[in-house]
Amino acid sequence: MIRPEEIKMSTEETGKWGMVIDQDICTGCQACVAACAMENNITFVGEKDSGYGRSMHWIRIERFWEGEYPEVKMTPNQPMLCQQCGSATCEPVCPAFATVHSQAEQLNLQVYNRCVGTRYCANNCPYQVRSFNWRDYKRPEPLSNQFNPDVTVRRRGVMEKCTFCIQRIHKAQDTAKSEGREVVDGEFTTACAQACPASAITFGRVDDPESLVSQLARAHGHGVKHLEELGTLPNVTYFKGG
Amino acid sequence: MADNISREEHSGQVSLLAVFPDLMPAADALDQLRALGISDDQMNVISGIPVTEAMLGRPSQWTNVPRLAAGGSILGFCAGAFLVFVTPYLYPVPIQVGTQAFVPGPPTVVVLFELTMLGMLLSTFLGVFLDSYFPNYRPMEYVKEVSDGKIAIFFICPEESKEKFTKAMTALGAEKVEVAEVEHL
Amino acid sequence: MAGYNKKAEPAHAKAESHSHAEHLREKHLMLDPLPRGQMNSMVMESMYETSWKFWVVFAILSVIVAYGLFYSWGVMIAEGLGVAGVNRPSYWGIFLVNTVFWIGISHAGTFISAILRVFKAEFRRPFTRAAELMTTFGLVQAGFSVFMHMGRVWLAYWLMPYANQRMLWPNLHSPLTWDLLAITTYLLSSTMYLFLPLIPDLAMARDRSTGWRKTFYKTLALGFRGTEGEWAHLRNAMNIFAFAIIPVMFSVHTIVSWDFAAATRPGWNSSIFGPYFVIGALHSGMGAVIMVLAVVRGTMKHMKYFIRAEHFDGIAKLMLIISMAWAYFFFNDYMVQWYGGDKWTHQLLHFHEAGPMGWMWFAMLIFNIAVPWAVLWNQKWRSTPWIVFIVGFFINVGMWFERYIIIPISLSINRMPFTWRLYEPGIEIPLGIGTLAFFILLYMGASKLIPLIPVWEVEEGQMAHELKQFGRETVVSVSELE
Repeated sequence: MIRPEEIKMSTEETGKWGMVIDQDICTGCQACVAACAMENNITFVGEKDSGYGRSMHWIRIERFWEGEYPEVKMTPNQPMLCQQCGSATCEPVCPAFATVHSQAEQLNLQVYNRCVGTRYCANNCPYQVRSFNWRDYKRPEPLSNQFNPDVTVRRRGVMEKCTFCIQRIHKAQDTAKSEGREVVDGEFTTACAQACPASAITFGRVDDPESLVSQLARAHGHGVKHLEELGTLPNVTYFKGG
Repeated sequence: MADNISREEHSGQVSLLAVFPDLMPAADALDQLRALGISDDQMNVISGIPVTEAMLGRPSQWTNVPRLAAGGSILGFCAGAFLVFVTPYLYPVPIQVGTQAFVPGPPTVVVLFELTMLGMLLSTFLGVFLDSYFPNYRPMEYVKEVSDGKIAIFFICPEESKEKFTKAMTALGAEKVEVAEVEHL
Repeated sequence: MAGYNKKAEPAHAKAESHSHAEHLREKHLMLDPLPRGQMNSMVMESMYETSWKFWVVFAILSVIVAYGLFYSWGVMIAEGLGVAGVNRPSYWGIFLVNTVFWIGISHAGTFISAILRVFKAEFRRPFTRAAELMTTFGLVQAGFSVFMHMGRVWLAYWLMPYANQRMLWPNLHSPLTWDLLAITTYLLSSTMYLFLPLIPDLAMARDRSTGWRKTFYKTLALGFRGTEGEWAHLRNAMNIFAFAIIPVMFSVHTIVSWDFAAATRPGWNSSIFGPYFVIGALHSGMGAVIMVLAVVRGTMKHMKYFIRAEHFDGIAKLMLIISMAWAYFFFNDYMVQWYGGDKWTHQLLHFHEAGPMGWMWFAMLIFNIAVPWAVLWNQKWRSTPWIVFIVGFFINVGMWFERYIIIPISLSINRMPFTWRLYEPGIEIPLGIGTLAFFILLYMGASKLIPLIPVWEVEEGQMAHELKQFGRETVVSVSELE
């Protein structure tokens, strides 16, 4: 637990938890999207609302192409999720402190029960990865039995977004603590990384040079952070064109 | 007005009112009253438009409104200062948003400005109420002609010289001079 | 209203100067004084006498408000914002367009009753209250619109600056919190500023009414008699308000603009948004004032005496200047955004002009610039109520388009092309019409309940004005009474 005297603003370039995504090996299979929805109790908005830009996935696979038909060339798929910015633009604009920076985990938190639904955070997110509960969507019958008990459900009028599966982080930390040790790299991972059949997504401690994410970042050497020029200090690194 | 009460019954003095159609006769009448020994604090002028004290040669009115406004702006500033400087540290752990300081610079100016203005304007409004004893629904000396643009002078004179004053006022152009009556406004 | 004009020019006056003086009298309310008692009864009659047409319009508007505002809002609260048109990426839609629009409308009242009062623009006198009423009622609609916008409106009180049950104060870093403080300050202060000069007129109405109206005016007049002290306190307070409310007014729309300008979005992140929005607010506000005055003059009894061609002329001149200022700020914003060369901003500017809503962009420029410039340069046209009514209408449509382009259309384009999508309004339409109907309804109700003309201010102005002879020329001259 953090003590008040330890509090300092986190302005370092590197956060604590991070992710590397290798776009070259992403097949666009959407397994991460499905796994995330299962893990985080994301509602199903249905075809109509989804088609109108109201899908609520916390991670999405962006597909692009170059050229005009028929000379179309696919470019690598781009999984897009909350970048857990070190200097998040969504945070200061919330009037209710519903989205704040976790000083312990260096993550960007979303506090559902504080949210009043002004949607300013979503407008101010350059990555457009926040999803809003436009309605109280119904869950088809058997699926209502598969809620993850570690994650709250959200009602209409509330903003939500990727949490880097903070429930898994906490579970791993609690287990490690009860066993009197530190969390080991690779001991747990996020739902999207776990589900990825091509292992395109890797999750871990970016502040630990020996972790897999840090090693991958070094090995590739040419990772990019999206919209880095905005100064948001994102914690997700993308590899493309290796 | 069924339950009019006349001042006569209460003292040896009588409260008279003279209604004038215009500023100049009213100013002359005030001079005349002073010459007849009525002091300025025993006269009161009621008008339907803001007649300045200088127009009638009356001592200038004391008003607390600017002082109250200044006091209110200080209170508002303090409320704003509490919000911006104190509330971020009222939590066990200050809440970090983005990489902005716990007490951010420019937003502090915005909050201080708004609350200072709010305090100032609220207390100005309140000042009018306090200084004018609003709301006041007690029966007061009043004539309705005032809201038709006439100027009414109320003054207190000895019972026995009532006639003398009535004549003096009529000579200066008073449309009516009579014993002032309290009215339920 | 020829019957009210005073014709008392001495017969020996030269025919030419006679007719000139007469012309000036007919033109200027301030030179055409009536006994105060007569003006009082004219204003009272304008409140008392109501035609059946008023009640028909009133009933229709009530139905629209009941359905468009309250029923539709209830549906939206029960169903969620899914019934509206907001989506990703246009998280903000017509609700905020209307909020900005109504706050813009509200700026006209303060502009007229504070700025024109401070600068002693005498033509303001008969319609300061008519404009101030728009401020208060416009802000009520802005409040409705911004609450509609919220996902969980039933928790709106969480934004108030108090420690909630978790001892959490609002986030003072957020432009929305500043907005709440600024709009609250503005709503309270403009309502107080509406009320202070109203007290003497309420006392006037109290003295000449009976029944429930008597009770109503008596209660609101607070026992005002018009003593020297009361006037002194009132004068002082109105002076403080006139000066202090101007920076508040500027701050309100500047902060509204910061909701956009402080965001990390192409097209929004512009340092000129503050003054650009303030001028835009005045643009639509003045257009709305002139529309209201044209309707008041045309429909209410005796108003042709109080509101004359000179007033339309005066406001229309301001409209023309403000339109030019708006064009200047618009071009300044556009030029710098275009020159900056940011690829997303370029995409956005191209989308504004050539996208599916390009017609709106061109309509905005025509309505906000071309229409007022083409019409208002001509004194005869700008003095004609129905012509300036139409110009005011176009300006308001144009300014609504401007906000629509800035909010949902600009939100359609962002730095994540995968999410680009156009916004299509849903339940926003009945709700928006509902706020408009509610504004008109409140205004109609108020016009029958409170004296729309500040009679004492008109009388004061008439005292201060006279005709003065300079050689052979007769001119209007004003004395400074304060």
